[in-house]
Amino acid sequence: MAVAEGPEPGAQTGRARRVLGSPSLRLAGRRLLAAILVLWGVTFLTYVVMNLLPGDAAQELLGANATPAEVHQLEVQLHLNEPFWVRYGQWLGDAFHGSLGTSVVNGENVTTILGTRLPVTAELLLYAFVGSIAFGVAVAVLGSRRPNGVADRLSMIVSMTGLSIAPYVLALVLIYLFAVRLPWFPAIGYTSLTADPFQNIRSLTLPAVAIGFPLFSIYTRLLRADIVEQMQREDYIVTARAKGVPPWRVLLRHALPNSLFGLITLVALNLGTLVGAVAIIEPIFSLPGVGAILIQSINDHDVPVVEGIVVFFGAVVVVANLLADLLYTALDPRIRYERAAS
Amino acid sequence: MSALLPDLLAPGDPADAKREPRARARAGWARALRLWGPAGFLVLMLAACFGWPNIYPVPNPVRGSVLQAGLPPLSPGHIFGTDPVGNDVFSRILYGGQISFEVGFGVTAIGLVVGGLLGMAAGYWGGAADTIISRLLDVLIAFPALVLALAIAEGLGPSEVHVIWALSVFSIPAVGRIARGATLALRGQTFILAARLSGTRGWRVIVRHVIPNIAPQLMTFSLLGIGVAIILEGALSFLGLGIPLPEASWGSMIAQGQQTLSASPDLVLIPSAFLFATVLSLNLLGDALRERWGVR
Repeated sequence: MAVAEGPEPGAQTGRARRVLGSPSLRLAGRRLLAAILVLWGVTFLTYVVMNLLPGDAAQELLGANATPAEVHQLEVQLHLNEPFWVRYGQWLGDAFHGSLGTSVVNGENVTTILGTRLPVTAELLLYAFVGSIAFGVAVAVLGSRRPNGVADRLSMIVSMTGLSIAPYVLALVLIYLFAVRLPWFPAIGYTSLTADPFQNIRSLTLPAVAIGFPLFSIYTRLLRADIVEQMQREDYIVTARAKGVPPWRVLLRHALPNSLFGLITLVALNLGTLVGAVAIIEPIFSLPGVGAILIQSINDHDVPVVEGIVVFFGAVVVVANLLADLLYTALDPRIRYERAAS
Repeated sequence: MSALLPDLLAPGDPADAKREPRARARAGWARALRLWGPAGFLVLMLAACFGWPNIYPVPNPVRGSVLQAGLPPLSPGHIFGTDPVGNDVFSRILYGGQISFEVGFGVTAIGLVVGGLLGMAAGYWGGAADTIISRLLDVLIAFPALVLALAIAEGLGPSEVHVIWALSVFSIPAVGRIARGATLALRGQTFILAARLSGTRGWRVIVRHVIPNIAPQLMTFSLLGIGVAIILEGALSFLGLGIPLPEASWGSMIAQGQQTLSASPDLVLIPSAFLFATVLSLNLLGDALRERWGVR
């Protein structure tokens, strides 16, 4: 991906050249720069879309009966009458200073809104994520032990189901089965972790499954395909088998670590799309997270709140991608040199 | 090598040559079934949704009588029952299916044309074009596309065409990325080089050599894309930003049924089952074609 670029001739000397010219450092720097550019693009795109589309917050807030004078007054009050570029510049400047502005609807600080709502969403996503990755890796390993065996076929059927079911359908089916028919879990509502840890886990289980099951299916399919390919193609597997390493050890210590690259890439890429899943699933279960307020803010044209949420998730994606890069090199030291050389 | 170490190379998977003829015939049948099963179901669904209402009259999907509200499934004249406003569920499934397929095909077609052209241009010409297009696609991929789709759908107002525009946000970068990768892989091949050396113009190389070669990969990917678009159309309608009520869409049917989930779950389960079966068939068909065409 990175373009080969020799050190600029004669630009630096001695130690400065050694440090700045360090290929891996420059690669990391370039990736970070690209990531920041992408993040900026995301905020800009959100602003453009939210502002250039018809409908505005002042009209939305005052309702259909407001006189044009009232609407205009509120627009001035909310700085909505200023040109688009001025508003975006102001927002961007504030964001650099750590302030994400205030909600147009109720004047609440966006950082405060995120602060109260993010823990719920973070816990939900963590629950869904850890579960889907743990089950995904376990099932993929079990399945790929014998390709086309019973376990493999079963796991493919289950993951095909998860790939084809819409999250909102899954959520409603889960509510119907495990909250209406069998009263094992609450259908809606949220109990905080500090109030009652057991109830907290119970209230988050169904939404976590609704978000996690499709993820689990994607991860399982990808990892299984990668492991099977490694087992069938690579010489080091043949070597390991030939020298008498037990099959389980070949699978877990040799094939699995070398098959994880695709999964890591996908997990990092997928994080951004999770905001969509959260936005649909949280309202169904009446969870007070960021997803619920995102939908409402889009409806209200509450640009600062939408921007705040999008920026936060964008930043998470950027950090996750950098972490994924670090994980690659931890898994396979060759990558460090290969990438540094390229 | 594989003759020396057959069971080491392919554990649990007996070599094809060793199989008895009967087992091989059965494998052939299974292979055919994997392709024609989902394909047949999809053709049936398409015929039912677009053909049935024109050939055999069904009750009007939106002008049901309140006197017949809330009938259970298998009631006379209403095989899937009626919803709380008295609309026939079966007829709403058919009309909602039309929307699902139209949105699915529309979104994927836009993705293929716009994303495909962008991706091929980036992959073929490289350089500045590649940098700009790739960064643009990166932004769109990093962006929580549902937020963008929701904002577009909300801003433009609920309608089928607007849903298609909004959901293209998903399909364009996804197809673009695949097309770029596939073109990049082709670019280094000898026949492309030969075409270029003999003075063929860029766009002609793309039309005559690149498109036919990346088509299988894009086709199988598009089948999955149609499924995703159908699910997302349902999501937008589920959130009230898709197809405007009272017009039928599987997503809005599910959302309406949610209110009476414990009393009459069939109002949620019937459209859910159709949504699931349709997307499942698309995914299975995609898998079968990928296996057949040897696309990874």
